[in-house]
Amino acid sequence: MAELYSVKDLETQFHTREGTVHAVNGVSFSLQEGETLGIVGESGCGKSVSMLSTLRLIPQPPGEIVSGEAIFQGRDLLKLSAEELRHVRGGQIGFVFQDPMTSFNPVQTIGKQLMEPLEIHLGMNKKQAWDRAIEMLRMVRIPNPEDRLKDYPHQFSGGMRQRAMIAMALACSPQVLIADEPTTSLDVTIQAQIMDLVTSLRKELGMAIIWITHDLGVVAGLAERVIVMYAGYIVEEARVKDLYAKPEHPYTLGLLRSLPRLDMDEKKRLASIEGVPPVLFKKPKFCPFASRCPYRIEKCLEENPSLMLVGENHKAACWVDTYTGKER
Amino acid sequence: MTQYIVRRLLLMPLTLIGVTLLIFGMLSFLSPAERVSLYVRDIPKNDIVMNSLIERYGLNDPFLVQYYHWLVGQKDASTGEWAGGILRGNFGYSRSANQNIVDLIKRRFPATVELALYSIVPLIGVGTWLGIVAAKNHNNIIDQIARIFGILGYSFPSFVFGLLMLMFFYAKYQIFPPDRLSNWANLVVTGEGFTSYTSLVTIDALLNGRFDIFLDALRHLVLPILTLSYINWALYLRIMRSSMLESMNQDYVVTARAKGVKEKDVVNKHARPNAMIPIVTMSGMTIAGLLSGVTITETIFIYPGIGSAAAAASTQLDVVTILSLVLLTGFILLVANLIVDITYAFLDPRVRLS
Ligand SMILES: Nc1ncnc2c1ncn2[C@@H]1O[C@H](COP(=O)(O)OP(=O)(O)O)[C@@H](O)[C@H]1O
Ligand code: SF4
Ligand SMILES: [Mg+2]
Repeated sequence: MAELYSVKDLETQFHTREGTVHAVNGVSFSLQEGETLGIVGESGCGKSVSMLSTLRLIPQPPGEIVSGEAIFQGRDLLKLSAEELRHVRGGQIGFVFQDPMTSFNPVQTIGKQLMEPLEIHLGMNKKQAWDRAIEMLRMVRIPNPEDRLKDYPHQFSGGMRQRAMIAMALACSPQVLIADEPTTSLDVTIQAQIMDLVTSLRKELGMAIIWITHDLGVVAGLAERVIVMYAGYIVEEARVKDLYAKPEHPYTLGLLRSLPRLDMDEKKRLASIEGVPPVLFKKPKFCPFASRCPYRIEKCLEENPSLMLVGENHKAACWVDTYTGKER
Repeated sequence: MTQYIVRRLLLMPLTLIGVTLLIFGMLSFLSPAERVSLYVRDIPKNDIVMNSLIERYGLNDPFLVQYYHWLVGQKDASTGEWAGGILRGNFGYSRSANQNIVDLIKRRFPATVELALYSIVPLIGVGTWLGIVAAKNHNNIIDQIARIFGILGYSFPSFVFGLLMLMFFYAKYQIFPPDRLSNWANLVVTGEGFTSYTSLVTIDALLNGRFDIFLDALRHLVLPILTLSYINWALYLRIMRSSMLESMNQDYVVTARAKGVKEKDVVNKHARPNAMIPIVTMSGMTIAGLLSGVTITETIFIYPGIGSAAAAASTQLDVVTILSLVLLTGFILLVANLIVDITYAFLDPRVRLS
C-alpha cells in the first residue's frame, strides 16, 4: 500500500481572550491508500481541530496553524494557495461533519447543495450534476432520489441528512473521506445503518477513511489502525486488534473500560475515567493525563512523555508499562 | 400557506376596528364640551351654540353609539337619508386641512408613497450593504469607521440632521430645496396639458415627457431621502453585520468551504441569504413606517405628504382627520406585516413548508 496522506508535527493554537489555547500539539500520522484510520478521544481532545487544520478549515483568527505539514499527493496542503487548496477540498478529500442538522444550508435544497461540488470540481453543467446527484442519493440508499433532491434539509430525517452529507462528500470520488463523528448525534439504530453504509461504500469505491469518534467501540468494527488523542497529543497508536488485545496507555485503558459490554452490568460500565480533558494554555512540562491517571509516578510530573515504540507498529506516550506498573 | 393568508386577511378588519375603537375610547376621556369647544371660535364660548353642536353631533350619545355613527353613519329620521359613516366613504371634513378628508388623502398620500419608494434603496439597500461591508471587515478599521458612521446617524435626532442638511444644501448652496416641486413646475403640473396618470410626480413627469420636471421633483426628494436614510442606516448596519457574522460562524459555512466553494460564493450564496432573513422582517416595518408618513421629516422639509398632514391635524386636535389617517396607516401596517410574512416564508423554506 502506498502512502496517500501524511501529517507531520501539526500544531494548532487558538488565540482567545483568556489566553492561547494549545489545541493540537505536534500531531503526526500517515494514511495509506484505501486504509481506514480511527481517531479516538473524549470531546475536546483536539480531534476535529487537527483534521480541520490539515485542510485549513479552522477559523483564522482566532485559530493559527503554528507549524507542521500535511502532505497529500506530494504537496503540502498547508502551503498551497487558496485556489489550489480549494480543489483538494471536496474534490480529493471529502468531509462529513458531526451534526447533519446544522451542516446543511437551511435555505437551499439538498439537490442544489449536492450539485455544488460536482459543478466546482468536475465542471459539470446543471443537468449532468443533477443526474449525478440522483445517482449519489441512490448510492447512499435514499428512496425516491429524484423527488428528495427537491427537498430542503429540514424535510430530511437526521439519518437521511447524514446519508446525504456522505453522498455530498463522496460526490467527486475523493481519495480520502474524513468523517468527524458522523454518527454521534444519531440514535443507535441509525448509527449502525450509517456504519454499514460506509463499510459497503468503502468496498465499492476504495477510498481511504479517517473516522473520528469518541467511541472506541465504533472504531473496532471499522478501522484498521487507531490513533488515541488526549489534550492535543497522540497518546497511543496501534493496529485495531493490537489496541484491543494489548492497550498500553492508561487513557486508552480508561476508554476501553468505559465501553458498554454484554458481560457487564450498567453500573460497572459507567466506571469511566473521572474528570475531563484539560484545556492547555501552556505546553505542559508534565504528562497532561497525570491528574486523572491511576498509574502516575514521580517522573510523570517532571516530563511530558513523547510517543515511543512499545511493540511492533505500536506506539504509546507513557512513562509506565501498565502491565508491570514499572517505569519503562 | 394560502389558508394562512386568507385567515390573516379576514382578521384585518377586526384589527382595524380594534385600533379605531381604542382611539374612540381615549376620546371619551374628553367631555363633550371640551371636544366641541374646538369648533367654536368665540370667546367666551356661547353655551347655546355649544349645546346645539353637542346635540347635532350626538356627542352625548353612548360611546359605542358614537362609534357606530362614525363607522356606519346615521340615518335621518325624517328624510331616511344616511349621513356620515366611513363605510359609505364619508370620512368627513378635515378642519386642519380645510378640505374633505378623502381629498386630503388623495392629494397627500401619493407624495408620501413617492418619498417612500425612492427611500427604499438608499435606506434599506445601503444600510444592509454597510452591514455586509462591516461584517466582511470584522474588527478592522473599515468595520470601525462604518459602525461609528452608523451610530452617529442613529444618535442624530432627525430634525437636527434635517435642519443641518437644509442649512447647507438649501440656504448656503441652494441645490436641494424643500417642498415637493418648484413653483414653476407646480404651475405646469397643475395646469392644462399635464395629465396625472399616477399622482407620483416623477413618474407623471416622465410619462408627460417633461424631464425637467422629473429632475425638479428628484431634487426636492434628495434631502428627505438622505435624512431618512442616514438616521436609519445604523439599524440596518447593526442587524446585518451581526446577522452576517453569525451566519459566517455556522456549520454550513464550514461545509461549503470543505466542498471547495470559493470564498466569495461562501459569503454570497451561503452566508448572505441566511443573514438576510431578519432584514426582511425589518424592512417590511420600515416600508410601512415610510408609507404611514414620516411626520418629522415631512414637516421639516415642508413635504406635502400624510405625515405632515397628521402633524397638522394633531396640533389642532383634529380628531376626525387623525382617525382617518390612523385607519389608513393601520391598514398599511397590516398589509406590510402580511407581505413580510409571505416574503419570510419565501426566503425560509422551514417556514414555508410547515
Ligand atoms: N474556535 C475556537 N476557539 C477557541 N478554542 C477552540 C476553538 N475551536 C476549538 N477550540 C479548542 O480546541 C480544543 C480541541 O477542540 P476539538 O478539536 O473540537 O475537540 P474534539 O476532540 O472534541 O473534536 C478544545 O480545547 C477547544 O476548546
Ligand atoms: S505518563 Fe504517567 S501520568 Fe501519564 S499516562 Fe503514563 S503513567 Fe499516567
Ligand atoms: Mg470534534
